Amino acid sequence: MFDKLEKVLMPMADKLGKNKVLLAIRDGFLITTPLIIVASLFLLFANFPITGWSEFWAGMFGEGWESWFTNVSRPVFEMVGFLSCFGTAYAYGRQLEGDAIQSAGIGMIAFLILTPTRIFFDGVPAVEGGDVAGGLSFLYLGSQGIFLGLFVSIIAVWLFNWVYRRGWTIKMPDGVPPAVSQSFEALIPSAVVMLLFFFIRIGFEFTPYETVHNFIYSVLQTPLKGAGNTLTAQLIYGVATTVFWFFGINGPAVANSVFGPITKVLTMENLEAFQNGTDLPNIFTDPFSNFFTNWGGGGSTLSLVIVMILFCNSKRIKQLGKLALVPGIFGINEPIIFGLPIVLNPIIIIPFILVPQVNLILSTIATNLGWIPYTTGVALPWTTPIGFSGYLSTGSLFAAVWQIGLLILGCAMYYPFIKILDKKYLEEEASAVAVEEEEISFDDISFDDL
Amino acid sequence: MKKKIYLFCSQGMSTSMLARKMQEVADANNMPVIVEAHAHGTLDEKIKTEHPDVILLGPQVKYLYNETVEQFGDYGAPIEVISSEDYGVMDGAKVLKMALVALKNNKK
Repeated sequence: MFDKLEKVLMPMADKLGKNKVLLAIRDGFLITTPLIIVASLFLLFANFPITGWSEFWAGMFGEGWESWFTNVSRPVFEMVGFLSCFGTAYAYGRQLEGDAIQSAGIGMIAFLILTPTRIFFDGVPAVEGGDVAGGLSFLYLGSQGIFLGLFVSIIAVWLFNWVYRRGWTIKMPDGVPPAVSQSFEALIPSAVVMLLFFFIRIGFEFTPYETVHNFIYSVLQTPLKGAGNTLTAQLIYGVATTVFWFFGINGPAVANSVFGPITKVLTMENLEAFQNGTDLPNIFTDPFSNFFTNWGGGGSTLSLVIVMILFCNSKRIKQLGKLALVPGIFGINEPIIFGLPIVLNPIIIIPFILVPQVNLILSTIATNLGWIPYTTGVALPWTTPIGFSGYLSTGSLFAAVWQIGLLILGCAMYYPFIKILDKKYLEEEASAVAVEEEEISFDDISFDDL
Repeated sequence: MKKKIYLFCSQGMSTSMLARKMQEVADANNMPVIVEAHAHGTLDEKIKTEHPDVILLGPQVKYLYNETVEQFGDYGAPIEVISSEDYGVMDGAKVLKMALVALKNNKK
């Protein structure tokens, strides 16, 4: 049966891993991630979840000290749609083996062509010489613009490179410096893309939506993120990632190519609401799935590692437990996955799938009951250890206690299964004739002939 | 010239643990080798700017192997997937040896 499943999953992972558009979106988000994390730390400092924190600093620096910090976090969060457009365009240009930075430029401009560039204020008449300034509204550039940013960058960059590859470029005579001729080469492809978006922009002005932003937001983004914001979608995501891991494939890396853009929107919406001090809209953000369903990586294996160290007797399991504990605390569990192994292990697969699902369901219930607050969307690295992560992502001490509680519950669920394996390994170790450890020698490799 | 052995997985997290172990073994044996771990998404860039001599993929991204060979097979560095057993116990010596053997075979 495993063979059959593997035959289905490997090509699937291969296909998803090969799809240049999905890869570009994933890598594009990777470009924005460090910015979001740093900005989150600034925001966290401005709103540290300790009573008296704000008053303490206000006493030293006066009211409004927070704005020093939010001046750093705000541009990142409110530009996140624009940033993901830029990042995706760059990554897609790289995927297509074209001029990556030129691709990023054309993606960005295509996005801006579709974006209103005048800001109207209620009560201020939009007349010649009036006070209506040209400007970009963050409304279109932030989380509302994420999906449009992705679409636009993919279309613009694809078209740009397609035209480029057809050779529809201006060719400079020999002797012209390469830097000059390169910029002329990009001229016609850029013109084609900009013309296309020029017409799209005009076309939408005749529809009731008026802008492409409004259209994408109401037709695609709202329903899609609604679908992602359900327990069912999260359960499916959980099963998908753990089943992929069971076959030795990095599950989140595959599943996030589909789910990533959706949860990104949910996360950024919470972050914006947190920054503006309004109610947090979504439960199923990235921090929620990172910090309330899995500890120690896919399958919530930190529980497993603890049981391995405390209650198992076979040498192999004990040693592996020690090796895996520290990385496990930071959410990295490949030693367990490949060393125990969990890969194709029919015993361990049961709790491996089950524990994260139980965590997910219980945490969802706890959130709905108001025991733990909604996550603020503050982007802590997914490697943040248990306890800290629960507290910092929600601002509630109880959330940290809750994490520890679920960790212990996970231990209880893993216990019977790992004991079966432990017994098996103990028997093997007892009956095994001491096999000589294969001595690795580097003598037969000489560096002279490398 | 030190030989560059570059490990790649989806974010370069767990491979960085293995890379450190490999570097320790290499240093203990005075081998002119640099072992580093990176995210697979940066492979293209690393090839263009840092010219690794051996490219190793973690077993959790073995599904990217075919694609990687297709894209970078002509580049000249051997591309291999680390065995899951060695990866699981983070056996730096064994993987280092495998990398060196791959390098040697590639030169022939």
